[in-house]
Amino acid sequence: MGETDLYEALRLELRRGSLVLAVLARLKTEQYGYSLRVALGEHGLEMEESTLYPLLRRLESQGLLTSEWREEERRKKRFYRLSPEGAAMLGRLEAEWRRLSASLDRIL
Amino acid sequence: MDLIERYLKAVGAQLPAAGRADILAELRDLLMSRVEEREAELGRPLTEAEVEAVLREVGHPLTVAARYGAGPQHVVGPELYPWWLFGVKTALTVLVLITAVGAVARILFGGAEVGQAIGQAFAGLFESGLTVVGLATLAGFIIERQKDKPAFLTEWRAKDLGMFEVGVFSRRWWDSLHEKSGGGSLAETDKVLDASLPKMSPTAGALGSATGWGIFLLWWSGLLGLGFRPEDLGGELVRGEVDYGLLFADTVALLYWPVVVFAAAQGVFHLLRAVTGSPVRLTAFGDVVFRGASLTLLGWIWLYSPFASLIRVDTIGAFIDRTETLIRTGAGLDTILMLIVAGAFVGEVFALIGALKKLLVGK
Repeated sequence: MGETDLYEALRLELRRGSLVLAVLARLKTEQYGYSLRVALGEHGLEMEESTLYPLLRRLESQGLLTSEWREEERRKKRFYRLSPEGAAMLGRLEAEWRRLSASLDRIL
Repeated sequence: MDLIERYLKAVGAQLPAAGRADILAELRDLLMSRVEEREAELGRPLTEAEVEAVLREVGHPLTVAARYGAGPQHVVGPELYPWWLFGVKTALTVLVLITAVGAVARILFGGAEVGQAIGQAFAGLFESGLTVVGLATLAGFIIERQKDKPAFLTEWRAKDLGMFEVGVFSRRWWDSLHEKSGGGSLAETDKVLDASLPKMSPTAGALGSATGWGIFLLWWSGLLGLGFRPEDLGGELVRGEVDYGLLFADTVALLYWPVVVFAAAQGVFHLLRAVTGSPVRLTAFGDVVFRGASLTLLGWIWLYSPFASLIRVDTIGAFIDRTETLIRTGAGLDTILMLIVAGAFVGEVFALIGALKKLLVGK
């Protein structure tokens, strides 16, 4: 594995855990899948659809999100938002993220 | 939008019925949004090739559908993989040993050419190796999909770890093969560690025995091809007017079910030992039963098997006379067989006495 490939593999590993946090945070306000992906991309967090959509369903099945089908722009879309359980989980994960970040800042 | 519908149809075919329509509706919206965004950028409708490019960006239908799956996305996961690898290496090692013994036996007693025996051994080993890898992978696939992790992943005991450190199954052993074949040399620290390795614990030994009996049973029952069957071991050996190959094949046929039961019982017994920590009395009890069965088998060979007319003697004097003739002339395969069966019988009697003693004393 070349240095570039290795960097890419490690970078993806580093990002993987943080994406759930980003998705939960963005869904404090209601979004449908495509608009969520665009919003995350605007913040420098590009996510493949084939990763994002199954993730949304998994988070919903875990009770962290709620969803509903609604018509918008002449098409039916599925809108997601944070559930009360999701909001509580986001709070805990955010605290952990800040603690981890502070620790890494001290080490780095 | 035929391409999009075909794409969705391909994804839908891989999805479970429950939730399929929901997932496809959401994917349809995603694809349409992507297409509309691209059309807005270009100011014109997309060509078929451009729509296809969008679909490729989203991912192959198999990949996309798999991500919606509830179960693991791998056959054998990273936690189970070291166990899978260890099991496969252990089983392959046993296979190599059995195959080598079988090839030597066929050369010595079966009249097979050396080259032919080696060729058949390699062919059999290849086929059996693939079977072992396939069975291990199937077991791994099933274990990965269980709700609860199996106990051996989490409830292992330090005192049972001998099996993972000793000789034939260790990483260092495989590395030493590499060293002997011209590869790098073992580190000095590894050599020191090798010398100080603990002996195999009874539990680890029991697991090893269970594996060995399991492979033997698969081979005996014909489920595992090694290039030769049990009845082939006698080959076409003819001495004088006696067709030893035929007698051997007849004996194997008569013993088929007794040996199946014996080997299966041995496998179950050693697994029981492994699960219970191999207590002395349980081990001794099993030893008594299996030694008794072995004595019965040897007695049957002596008295009633197809070989009985060749090896049976009814007096000590006749036994000694035949042995003396063998020593004097160097000829007499029937007498050699007689000595082997008699020697094995005496050995089993001593082993039975030892097992009975352990059973009574408890240590």
